[in-house]
Amino acid sequence: MAIQSSYLDKKGLTVKDLVTIGIFTALFFVFELIGSLPFAPNPALTFYQPFGIALLCGPVFLLMVAKVPKRGTIAILGIINGIVWFALGMHWGMDLGYIIMGIAAEIVAGIKGYKNIKWNIAAYALFCLGPAGVFVAYFFDPLVWAKTMLEKGTAQEYIDTMTANAPTGMLPAILLGTIVIAVISGLVGKKLLKKQFERAGITETRS
Amino acid sequence: MSRERRRLRMPVDTGRTGFWIDPRTKMVILLLCVLSAAMAPSLHYEVLLVLLITCFGIACRKVRYSIIGALAYAAVYFLTIAALKTHGSVQVMLAAFLGLVHKVYPCGILSGILISTTKVGEFLSAMNRSHVSQKIVIPVAVMMRYIPTVREDWHFIKDAMKMRDISPSLKSFLTHPGMTVECIYVPLMMAASKTADELTVASVTRGIENPKPRTSNVQIGFGVWDVVVTACFLALFLAGQL
Repeated sequence: MAIQSSYLDKKGLTVKDLVTIGIFTALFFVFELIGSLPFAPNPALTFYQPFGIALLCGPVFLLMVAKVPKRGTIAILGIINGIVWFALGMHWGMDLGYIIMGIAAEIVAGIKGYKNIKWNIAAYALFCLGPAGVFVAYFFDPLVWAKTMLEKGTAQEYIDTMTANAPTGMLPAILLGTIVIAVISGLVGKKLLKKQFERAGITETRS
Repeated sequence: MSRERRRLRMPVDTGRTGFWIDPRTKMVILLLCVLSAAMAPSLHYEVLLVLLITCFGIACRKVRYSIIGALAYAAVYFLTIAALKTHGSVQVMLAAFLGLVHKVYPCGILSGILISTTKVGEFLSAMNRSHVSQKIVIPVAVMMRYIPTVREDWHFIKDAMKMRDISPSLKSFLTHPGMTVECIYVPLMMAASKTADELTVASVTRGIENPKPRTSNVQIGFGVWDVVVTACFLALFLAGQL
């Protein structure tokens, strides 16, 4: 315990912190994969993929922040997620979204010094908006999105249908839904942390 | 170590014979591929991109993977043409989905080739050579090392759960949600925190905190092939923008 507290007293990220971040990023990534598996390959559900990610990763995120309550943790998580999804060939909207929302979440959690669980859950909800970046790119300009596939004849029809029953309500629905699910996941994580990890001494109990 | 080897002219086993590409070049071509796919002017252009990637994959000796990838793309291509014949909201939905597929697929298959041909050591020395911050390099290295372990841990956890009559299935998730969630997350995260401590000790012992520049047994460097491959991808990207 003495060693651990000296690590925590030290400013900045130590090697131990970086390794911990790496391990939890791996776990985070695995849960992301499991969460997006039922959504991504299905035409009707692709757009709800952020839900799957938000639902599963909450406890991992909270435990990671509880273990490394320092500046940079969440930003590194976001940047690595961006890099990994980029390396896996995902759309650039998702990669950029992860990095931007990682930094935003970092700032939110940092307001209370990464120790306040409510603010950490808020940070998690923000972080989960990252993968929705693809869909922001889509709704920003649905025509450019489909341009590569459209021949001249179908284009007009596509525009007509698009404007007639455009899923304009879908983007706010995705974003709001992601936040709600992320908060639920965060609350489950909070309960788990309190019940299991603080008692086992994995995280520091706050006095 | 590496400098000494060079001076002594010792044979270095780099594991590269013939076609070998520097990890940094791989990043550049992946970036070019993402840009090409994002700004592709037409479906035919995408087909060309996938063909180039297939040739590249075959050159990397990933023959089976590349050919299967190309065939799957052909299926998606015909599916797209069929989907555009549909009308109304079905078309909008399919167009949105297939749009995502066309933007992601070429990059996905290329990155599959790149990742399976890159060793962790090569990747790390390339990262160090290009002065990427330790704050990114260490977590990425740890992550690559840890992901297979998660899978292993998961099998043990599943076995342990079976012994206690809990199964990580949808059914038990619906009947006892709290219990199931706890039984999945708690062991995984406990194992993760323990591993983090152990891995820290192991990596500090192996000198990860050493402030001197990192040396490596694996020699990396640019060659003719790097230029050729980059030129091919760059040419295709520029061709798409004209």
